[in-house]
Amino acid sequence: MFYVNKLRDICYRNDFYLSLLLTKDMAGSWLGAHIDGVLLHAGDVRAPADVFGDIYQVFLILGTLVGVVVIAYTLYNSYKYRAQDGAAPESVDRPSLGELPTSGGGGRKLFLSFSISAIIVLSLIGWTYTTLLYVENEPAQHEDRMDVDVVGHRFSWEFVYPNGHSATGTLRVPKNELVQLHLTSNDVFHNFGVPELRVKADAIPGQTTTAWFVGKETGEYAAHCYELCGSGHSYMDATVVVMERDAYREWYNTTSGGNETEAVKP
Amino acid sequence: MTRTKLYVGIYVVLFAFATVQALVEFAGFLESAYWEAFAAIMVLSAIKAVLVAAYYQHLRWEPRSVSYLVAGGLVAATALTGAAAFSIL
Amino acid sequence: MSSHEHGLPPKSSISRWFLTTNHKDVGILYIVTALFFLVFGGVLALLFRIELWEPGAQVLSELSYNQSVSAHGLLMVFWFISPFAFGFANYVVPLQMGAEDLAFPRLNALSYWLYLFSGLLFGVSFFQGSTFAGGWTMYAPLNVPAYIPDGALGATTAVLALVMFVASVTVSSVNFLTTMYRMRAEGLRMRDLPIFSVSILLTVWMMLFAFAALLAALMILSADHIIGTKYFVYQITQSGAVTRTVGNEAASLLWAHLFWFFGHPEVYIVFFPALGVMAETFQTFAGRRLVGRKWFILSMVLVALQSFMVWMHHMFLTNINLTIKTVFMATTIGISLPFDLMMFSLIYTLIKGKVRFKTPFLFTLGSVILFIVGGITGVFLGAVVLDYQFRGTYWVVAHFHYVMVGGATALFGGLYYWYPKMTGKMYDEFLGKVNFAMYFVGFNLLYFPMFVAWETPRRVFEYEAGLTVWHQIATIGGLLLGASFLVMFYNLFVSLWRGADAGDTPWEYATSAEWAVSSPPPMDNFPGLPSYRDGSLSFLSESAVAARLRGDGTASTDGGDPTADGGVATGTALDTATETHLETEDVEHADHASIWPFAVGLGAFLTMLGLSGVQQGTIVGTEYAALLGVGGVVTFGSLVAMTREPFHAPEAALAERFPYADVEKLKLGMWVFLASDVVLFGAFIGSHAFIRVAHGWREWHNLIPAEHVTMPGLINTYLLLTSSFLVVLAMVAAKKGSRRGTVLSLVGTLALGIGFLVNKALEWQHLFHVHSEAFPQGWDLSTNVASSTFYLTTGLHGAHVAVGLVICAYMTIRAWNGAYQGDPDAIEYFGLYWHFVDIVWLFLFPLFYIL
Repeated sequence: MFYVNKLRDICYRNDFYLSLLLTKDMAGSWLGAHIDGVLLHAGDVRAPADVFGDIYQVFLILGTLVGVVVIAYTLYNSYKYRAQDGAAPESVDRPSLGELPTSGGGGRKLFLSFSISAIIVLSLIGWTYTTLLYVENEPAQHEDRMDVDVVGHRFSWEFVYPNGHSATGTLRVPKNELVQLHLTSNDVFHNFGVPELRVKADAIPGQTTTAWFVGKETGEYAAHCYELCGSGHSYMDATVVVMERDAYREWYNTTSGGNETEAVKP
Repeated sequence: MTRTKLYVGIYVVLFAFATVQALVEFAGFLESAYWEAFAAIMVLSAIKAVLVAAYYQHLRWEPRSVSYLVAGGLVAATALTGAAAFSIL
Repeated sequence: MSSHEHGLPPKSSISRWFLTTNHKDVGILYIVTALFFLVFGGVLALLFRIELWEPGAQVLSELSYNQSVSAHGLLMVFWFISPFAFGFANYVVPLQMGAEDLAFPRLNALSYWLYLFSGLLFGVSFFQGSTFAGGWTMYAPLNVPAYIPDGALGATTAVLALVMFVASVTVSSVNFLTTMYRMRAEGLRMRDLPIFSVSILLTVWMMLFAFAALLAALMILSADHIIGTKYFVYQITQSGAVTRTVGNEAASLLWAHLFWFFGHPEVYIVFFPALGVMAETFQTFAGRRLVGRKWFILSMVLVALQSFMVWMHHMFLTNINLTIKTVFMATTIGISLPFDLMMFSLIYTLIKGKVRFKTPFLFTLGSVILFIVGGITGVFLGAVVLDYQFRGTYWVVAHFHYVMVGGATALFGGLYYWYPKMTGKMYDEFLGKVNFAMYFVGFNLLYFPMFVAWETPRRVFEYEAGLTVWHQIATIGGLLLGASFLVMFYNLFVSLWRGADAGDTPWEYATSAEWAVSSPPPMDNFPGLPSYRDGSLSFLSESAVAARLRGDGTASTDGGDPTADGGVATGTALDTATETHLETEDVEHADHASIWPFAVGLGAFLTMLGLSGVQQGTIVGTEYAALLGVGGVVTFGSLVAMTREPFHAPEAALAERFPYADVEKLKLGMWVFLASDVVLFGAFIGSHAFIRVAHGWREWHNLIPAEHVTMPGLINTYLLLTSSFLVVLAMVAAKKGSRRGTVLSLVGTLALGIGFLVNKALEWQHLFHVHSEAFPQGWDLSTNVASSTFYLTTGLHGAHVAVGLVICAYMTIRAWNGAYQGDPDAIEYFGLYWHFVDIVWLFLFPLFYIL
């Protein structure tokens, strides 16, 4: 019952239907529209975590449904048409040894089910594509965003703030701020991800990637490395601390261009 | 033997085209109009390649399916190069 | 030794298995060897599953963990699944299409030995300090020596083992394609091939091109290890400080592109044979013909084509641009749809069936169910915003295990399906069902919890304590899955003696030709020449074939009756006599025993092992130098011996050969090989172009010394063009029967080719030692990324020239002794190769000397 309600909630949200209908630019501007106007912070922004949560739910429900139906139907058919001893003689034309392969009947049914599956898959992907555009284009709408450089090292994460302050192991950000990460690596291929905030990107030597998030609740969030990078890969964690905006400002004012290392929380 | 004459003719063309490619550089076209020179040189190479394949490897006289086979490899390699390069533009 | 064994010792003799070139023997060798690597990779998996019982490193050290994860992936993907499928392909495809053997039986044996020895080489890498530990995807730059602790010997060996494996695959692809296009039974059009053969055909097409790209990646990686080129590293960092800047911004992305360009078709390469087995067994055990067979095949063709345009969905989180992401999202979703159709087709085939739940069907039905789960969870990954979060997690692990091991499940069904055919014995049905039950439960216990615990990052032993229970269930499932194989091996082994006789056709409603012959089939497969001209399988007698060739359409097709023609019936059995006659031009039976494929494999093994001891241009020990020397001699000697050994694999007098009827089989083989070589060079040139684009196309010349001028390249262009022309003249002379002309032209080719290499050597020598302001230390292989691409790409081409020269020298000697006159085919085929090398240079010259 929980899932049914949840599905209804999601479906009733306007953006579900609208994003199916809107073209890519319209969808982008519409999705951005509700945060226009005077904004002091990005607390109302639909963060990647929200986007992921919605889509994942829908996929999970539909996926389970389709899977159960198709598998059940398969098992049902294989059982229903099982060979039975002493069955009545039948009129079905069975294949014989040495014949040239030909098709069995049932083509219409095949295309009907194929079309249904194609429609489901294509509309799901069409819908998620608009959210992809949103996720990719949103940070550019926020000139007041916070930009942080993230550098992967074997086996730690270094964060460089706009004022040049560099910290290893802990990233502090203010609550309700759109944080844009610019990631690269100092040595090998890494991948920086914070599961709870649904932010993730490759950290590639010689290249820069971006990803963004909004911390809407204060607290500590664990970050991991998601690309095998050597013996210390399993331990290559960091902490993202979302702070109250005042507390953050206070802390930020004490920093300068120097370096700092905070122990990674076990 | 006419076939032999054809082979000689193609050899002359190949030789000349290679020389022209080098001359494009010696004449300084790469400094003045890089991309035009680039295109000219690559087109010359492509023509040479087609000539060798069509006549020296006598694809012209083989069933078309052999050419398709080679074209398959060529398309795969081009897709890789093109899409990979485009992805970082 | 009876004559119908083609000069081979009996199967009970060990030496038989070293000498055999017969497709059925080779098939069995493949299957047994693949199962060995399954156990190898499986034990590694159990090791790290036990390690994952609790978070943290308790059982394995950190690096051992990484090694076992990486080796598990490599072994399973390369040395188990595909070779396992190709065991069946070897055994079954010639039977299904009505051929006596593959087109090139010795090359088939060579494929096998290269495969076995490459796997052994991989095994050796564990004993060289440590094996490769950077994951089966081998991402750069963790795959280069600078980032491999304690010397990269084992890692280099692992890479070389892969190179050798790819060599095996390439030989195999050429062989299968030539066979399947040239040797089908009369009346068997391409579209009439049984579905398993269709799946293998498409698999082989993908292999031909995909593995060529992988070969390029692996050769470049080997070069980074062995001679110190700098393709796959941006900068070298030691304890946080940059110690060496290479400036190759494209390094990591280049690997990702090359690897996944191969890697995604590889998914289908692994899965297609499984699809073939599913369709084959669904038809047999439901007693129904495949619903929408035409559409099923069309779907496979579409997937095979499109598989080369989806690879960047593995790179969605890199910095590739939004446009290309969109394109690849669309192609990715597009490629999932044909699979929907195929699954529905399988399911509908059951309707109105007489479904018998025998072990093979249980496995393939299970496989369909697992694939449905794998497919649905794959759609999640197609949604890019979801993919962003699934990247690098257990979601991906669970998904691809459902797909790939799901596919392997069908192959295990195939093992039970064809076991009676291969051995003549029936396996124990009860144990088979026990096997399936354990397998299926174990599988789902192992992989399903991974979906639940999907937030676990891949390839770590540290995970959130809250997920422990799921990982423990998975470990238990893994142990159960492992145990199910003990039942399988016991069943199949014991049934060799105790099994009931299977008869020709143990499965009612099986249709394909392998079931129309005895179990196991005789050496030459059929009791007459197979033909489908009348709409179903019949075996033509010698006289019927002769009549057919005379254009007499009324010949009887009763089969198995050795009459007419009065050939030498050397055998005692009736069928023996028949088949002897059926090799039309070859009355005496050819000897099909050859030790040389084995010897070449052994030689390659020793060479590669020796090569692993060369690190960044210096050899680390005399033992490696010795191995290199011995290996080189053995390889070269065996290749020469193989060339000189008389070996005749005649083609059937009547066969379906569309669309290559007018292309002789050796020529077709050469063209197929060249097509894969096009991709190899294409990938090398593409790598160069990609690196250059990433660096800035026009800024590239800053990396190149002024001393690198056009002239040597132009001279070499002239030399190569002229040599190409001379090969043409040699062919013309041979056709005319002019021995003098042939020899002179070949000597000229040889001289010009040597001139090419000498000129190149002088040029390189000069560049190595330039002494300019920009390059005070010279411009060698490891100076920068421009020098690396220049030397390696032109070096690969130079190696092709050198190989061509060895062949040319051999042919010159033979021509001197009077060969080829009036029979210029060999020169023509060599010419195809030589002209191809020429064509490659026509592009290398402008790219590396002018632009």
